[in-house]
Amino acid sequence: MVYVRKLKPIEVLSKDAREDIHLASLELLKEMGVKVYSKEALRILEESGAKVDQEKQMAYIPPYLVEEALKKTPKYVKLCARNPKYDVILDGKHICCSTDGTGMYTIDLDTGERRPSTKDDVAKSARIINALEDADLYYPLVTPLDFPKHAHVLHEFDAAINNLEKHFMSGATYLREEATYLIKMASAVVGGIEELRKRPIISAVACMMSPLILPLGETDAALEFSKYGIPVVPMTMPLLGATGPITPAGSVLIGNAQILAINTVIQMKYPGTPVIYSSFPLSMEMKTGAFAVSFPEADLVIAGHIQMARHYGMPNLAGGNIGSAKLPDEQAAYEKALCGLITVLAGGDICGTIGLLENYMVLSYEQLLIDYEMYRMMVKLAEGIDVNEDTLALDTIYRVGPEGHFMAEKHTLKHAKDVWAPLITDPRSHQAWKKEGGKSVVEVAREKVREILATHEPEPLDEDVKRELERIIKEGEENLPHRPHNP
Amino acid sequence: MSSEECLTELKSSIENLDKEAAVEATKKALKMGLDPIEIIEKGLAKGLREVGSRFEKGELFIVELIAAAEAMKAAMEILEPEILKRKTKREVLGRVVLGTVAGDIHDIGKNIVASLLTAAGFEVYDLGKDVPVEKFIEKAKEVNADVIGASALLTTTVPIQKDLADAIKRSGLNVKYIVGGAAVTPQWAEEIGAAYAEDASSAVEVIKNLVKQKE
Repeated sequence: MVYVRKLKPIEVLSKDAREDIHLASLELLKEMGVKVYSKEALRILEESGAKVDQEKQMAYIPPYLVEEALKKTPKYVKLCARNPKYDVILDGKHICCSTDGTGMYTIDLDTGERRPSTKDDVAKSARIINALEDADLYYPLVTPLDFPKHAHVLHEFDAAINNLEKHFMSGATYLREEATYLIKMASAVVGGIEELRKRPIISAVACMMSPLILPLGETDAALEFSKYGIPVVPMTMPLLGATGPITPAGSVLIGNAQILAINTVIQMKYPGTPVIYSSFPLSMEMKTGAFAVSFPEADLVIAGHIQMARHYGMPNLAGGNIGSAKLPDEQAAYEKALCGLITVLAGGDICGTIGLLENYMVLSYEQLLIDYEMYRMMVKLAEGIDVNEDTLALDTIYRVGPEGHFMAEKHTLKHAKDVWAPLITDPRSHQAWKKEGGKSVVEVAREKVREILATHEPEPLDEDVKRELERIIKEGEENLPHRPHNP
Repeated sequence: MSSEECLTELKSSIENLDKEAAVEATKKALKMGLDPIEIIEKGLAKGLREVGSRFEKGELFIVELIAAAEAMKAAMEILEPEILKRKTKREVLGRVVLGTVAGDIHDIGKNIVASLLTAAGFEVYDLGKDVPVEKFIEKAKEVNADVIGASALLTTTVPIQKDLADAIKRSGLNVKYIVGGAAVTPQWAEEIGAAYAEDASSAVEVIKNLVKQKE
């Protein structure tokens, strides 16, 4: 369920600061240039008027081109779902919830052991997202390591879509061919490529590289998706002090320039392609060099990128409930709560990013529900306080008087359903809690996950669609390259 | 209107959480000559039990249960003098006298307990807040109570619960005693020889057990 943001976003960047970052981005793209490993992207930029050095694979993009591309970028994006009742609109006013992705390990629900992730984990986690009312889209939480790696994208989609009626956002695709096969599969589900163009039930992340590189496979895949009007999610991930400047401002700048560069390529070739501005920076711990996704500086870059996206009128996906904790423990709780909250308060469109530990590496089913619970609290906060005749309840206050109570008032009864209701949070007394086994929230979450998996039945795909998906996967496994193309 | 229809109207007034409708239906039923006990048992209480069981199943909110209990209470205020007149007695799970102790005016928790008890089938005599010790004893004698419940939220008013415990002993009444409230601990309850419940729904369970012990 999509929430309406009523609270004005907090500003981590003033209007002047946003203008400065925009102008500095334009300067970098023109003067320093951007490395473009994709031949098609280089050609598009050259044909659009950018200065290109073919030998060095560098493009020097003039500001007018970047601005023109921004004008062609849609301000509203609809993320369609297999079942249209789960469609999501991104317009800067609504907030929706996605999963995080894409990890390599899963904390096993039964053994508690951290093990390589499987296709079954993708299927189960997608089923959970389908069941959770306020979760809106599924991004593969983990990759299936029990299937051929060169076809991982196809298996991720297959496992998910058999359990999911909501929108599917593919994790990073590294090759144009992966995009081709994913598009084939999504077309099979909706009944053809023209149907998919009308209602793209998938979108796809395109990971850019810092400092300023448009990589080969990712960029080509992004262009392939754009060709069919499928929303593209270019993602910047500067490591502060390593692949980006150590200062939040500098990393906001370098990430912003990356997004503007890829958006220019996409809009010049396929104007009007829905593009979602995405940012997942990492901090570096100065004593050990360890990376952390939600230290305060990285959180500030996330908030900064969200505000740059809003500055351009582009939908965004950034930050959310992320952290470097190894367990669904106290560290996970505060890292995720703080980053998740600033994401929502700064103006995030796609928030939540629920379910992973260890810097996007490890799925914890228990954490998935804990993150979901936190997300639901955050969006309620973002609704702010509505003040009108009904909410002020002056008449009711008069009727109750100084010594009465409000519990049986019509006004109370009318609004009771609007009050935030916990899924796994236990507000009860110690006695009541103890009576039911004195469980930690992690244990409660585990039981809830088991309950959902035992009871929730997503609408299945037609048998012939299932068979067609299997056929495409088989074809993909045979034809997809086992190694990336050499840049 | 048949008496059957009238009882249905009583029941649904409670299910609809409608205090005004409950009062109107009760007046109408009396006018039609229905027995007050029948009005309660086959009408109002039936509705309240339905609401209570839906609340237990998680289908209704606490405030809806309270609203139903308050509608019942409003109807009972009309019926009680009639019951007294006819010298009949209603079969109930037990009779409970409740109040917030003297010096303390925090009563929302006690109100919730009163509503939950009513919904569970107890007859509740709610003395309100800032209730002196003697008043608890008087009322318990008058209604032949099974249980006295005393609530205290302030650390400074908690000792009154001991005064009440002593007064109950002195009175020689065969009545069980339960204490609750934010400033009360199980240790304190034990010290003064009272039962204890930490929240409203466990209070209902504890009081059910106290009544059983008494029998």
